[in-house]
Amino acid sequence: MIASSHSADTKVHEIARMSNEVKELRSAFVDGRSRLMRLKMESSIVQKVADKGIKPSLNPPQKIKVKPTTKN
Amino acid sequence: MAGVEKNILNRLYFVAGCMFVFALAVVFKLVSIQVVQGDKYRAKAEESTIDRVVIPANRGNVYSADGSLLATSVPKYDIRFDAVTPSTKTFEKYVKAFSDSLSNYNGKSVAANEKNLRKARKNKNRYYLIARDIGYSEYLRFRSFPMLSLGAFKGGLIVEQTTKREHPMGGIAQRTIGYERQDADGNYTRPGLDGAYGIKYLRGTDGSRLKQKIGKGRWKPIADYNEVEPKDGYDVYTTIDVNIQDIAHHALLEQLEKYKADHGCVVVMETKSGEIKAISNLGRNKNGHYYERLNYAVGESHEPGSTFKLMAVTAALEDKVIDTSDVVDTKKGVLSFYGKKVRDSRRGGYGKISISKAFEVSSNTGIVTAIDQHYRKNPKQFVDRLYAMNLNQLLDIPIIGEGKPFIPHPDNKKSWSGIALQWMAYGYGVSFTPLQTLTFYNAIANEGVMVKPQFLKEVKSFDEVVVPFKKEVINPQICSKETVAKVKKLLQNVVEKPHGTGHGLYSKSFSMAGKTGTCQKDYVNKEKLNYISSFAGFFPAESPKYSCIVVIHEPDKTVGYYGADVSGPVFKKIAQKIFTDNPMVDTIEKLEVVDENVESRFNKYFELAEKHITIMPNVVGLPAMDAVALLENMGLKVKMNQVGKIKKQSIKRGDKVRRNQEVILEI
Repeated sequence: MIASSHSADTKVHEIARMSNEVKELRSAFVDGRSRLMRLKMESSIVQKVADKGIKPSLNPPQKIKVKPTTKN
Repeated sequence: MAGVEKNILNRLYFVAGCMFVFALAVVFKLVSIQVVQGDKYRAKAEESTIDRVVIPANRGNVYSADGSLLATSVPKYDIRFDAVTPSTKTFEKYVKAFSDSLSNYNGKSVAANEKNLRKARKNKNRYYLIARDIGYSEYLRFRSFPMLSLGAFKGGLIVEQTTKREHPMGGIAQRTIGYERQDADGNYTRPGLDGAYGIKYLRGTDGSRLKQKIGKGRWKPIADYNEVEPKDGYDVYTTIDVNIQDIAHHALLEQLEKYKADHGCVVVMETKSGEIKAISNLGRNKNGHYYERLNYAVGESHEPGSTFKLMAVTAALEDKVIDTSDVVDTKKGVLSFYGKKVRDSRRGGYGKISISKAFEVSSNTGIVTAIDQHYRKNPKQFVDRLYAMNLNQLLDIPIIGEGKPFIPHPDNKKSWSGIALQWMAYGYGVSFTPLQTLTFYNAIANEGVMVKPQFLKEVKSFDEVVVPFKKEVINPQICSKETVAKVKKLLQNVVEKPHGTGHGLYSKSFSMAGKTGTCQKDYVNKEKLNYISSFAGFFPAESPKYSCIVVIHEPDKTVGYYGADVSGPVFKKIAQKIFTDNPMVDTIEKLEVVDENVESRFNKYFELAEKHITIMPNVVGLPAMDAVALLENMGLKVKMNQVGKIKKQSIKRGDKVRRNQEVILEI
């Protein structure tokens, strides 16, 4: 009775510790994600490559599509 | 002797009697506590060791259309320092290093940080604030600082964790994404989508369970199930496109900074579905920086100025009282009604011009004359037509605080006046929010189908769609197809025709259509006179995919204030961006193309290669590329200085060559 009550208590401490860990990991994820999102935004990329002389194209990419022909 | 004995016995009885009474009293009290007051005490005991603990539900996330996170709940940390806890030895040992790490973080000098720490210790400050609201990675950094790394009991580290709503995109679209916040009095402020859908979808419901105290400040659940299960909030997927939003935000910011304007907004809407792809609202603060302050696009109803000419002309065309080819007299640029003057931005007006030209050059007098001529006797017809196009209605969007549209009605004597009709014709005395104006422009772009601006795609719980949002039609046909085609042409001409007010935005590679607006603001007091520069329209002009409105308030008059100059470039930038992001598709029938030129050249080359194996051919006149291939195949070592056509060869034609012989080609 006493032993099982104690083991339950340790489990509670364990859960508390782990749920904190979950929170921390989640926060680390969001932190990383938000930094990534800011980095991959076009405006920040434009700034970063500006001194290399690269800028967004003024013309859209051309896509050449071959009409599928039915073989006889 | 017997007397003495009896005396003792009497005393004994007395003592025994007292003890019996005492015992009785004890029993009585016991029973009364156990039975009579039992419930009260038992409850009290439970209260101190058992508690109903609320299990907070996780608030749902807000996503963009492509699944990027726009708002989510994350733990944030406050770092504090208990300056008393560390022993003198520890404190002195680490204080320098700690100050140094701290100065790396906060940019203050090492000496200043040390001074502050020493001061905190001297004042017995057990709660010295080091950093507030920091993210997880920063928090880990603090944990590794000297002194703090020793932990709470030796190093005096205090960490407080709270859940905060975070916008991973930062300041972008912040007002539209919004938040839900409770102040000290329990009142909520709820801007944006996060606010609007907070209660309905995002919040979820808190659960609860009974827990028993087990020490170390921890509580143990009594039963192994939750009495009330928490239900996490749903995730909300918005229609916002992160890429377009990014462009819109930065294009607007650039223009606001250039014109030192007070505030501005831009909204991009998908024509067919009404989905809002981007919405940006920027206002200037005291220091001259811009950030998302209020949702101007949704909340700020203002006089639209010339962009309203579209509505006026559409109404008149629909009533068939005018046609675009009708000629109006711009009356030398000044009209007068009851002593009030309507002026053209060009002094002297434009002479006698067609209505379409009056629209394209945005002649106030031209449009006002046309409207005045045909509706003076019956202004009710004009206003009723505007009402029929749903212009006086709220859009009924979810974001709280939509500005009310206003169009005075002749039946309402209070708001109507002798000049109301004429002023209305060029966008004064009426009031709309940018989003309402855009909805009308979008309806024109969408062949007369007025769709409601849509902010949400769907509400999801994990991968399961809980509430899908479909496009809502406000009015299936605000005006006839012919009218739509006519005004579309007008809007296109504003940009395409050299006389159009928006011609400065014209680009050969892609088409746009729209209307400029330069509206006076605070015109009652001439000293405070300011402008609202706007541009509303759609692109591509022929088959519109997106409509867009840009409104910029109070640009610096010394820099410029015309709608085409201030707001137009934002519009163009967005249009251009969307144009360049979408590949142009050329469809061809088959891959094998026979080009005679190429064919004949190849045959020539092939002939040479076949003929010359050990004898030097004449390569003068051949392209270097071909010559190199030819000669190297023969085993020669080719040297040349640049590319182009060969002018001279070092080995004469017809000479016999051997392997690895060097040949110099001049170009």
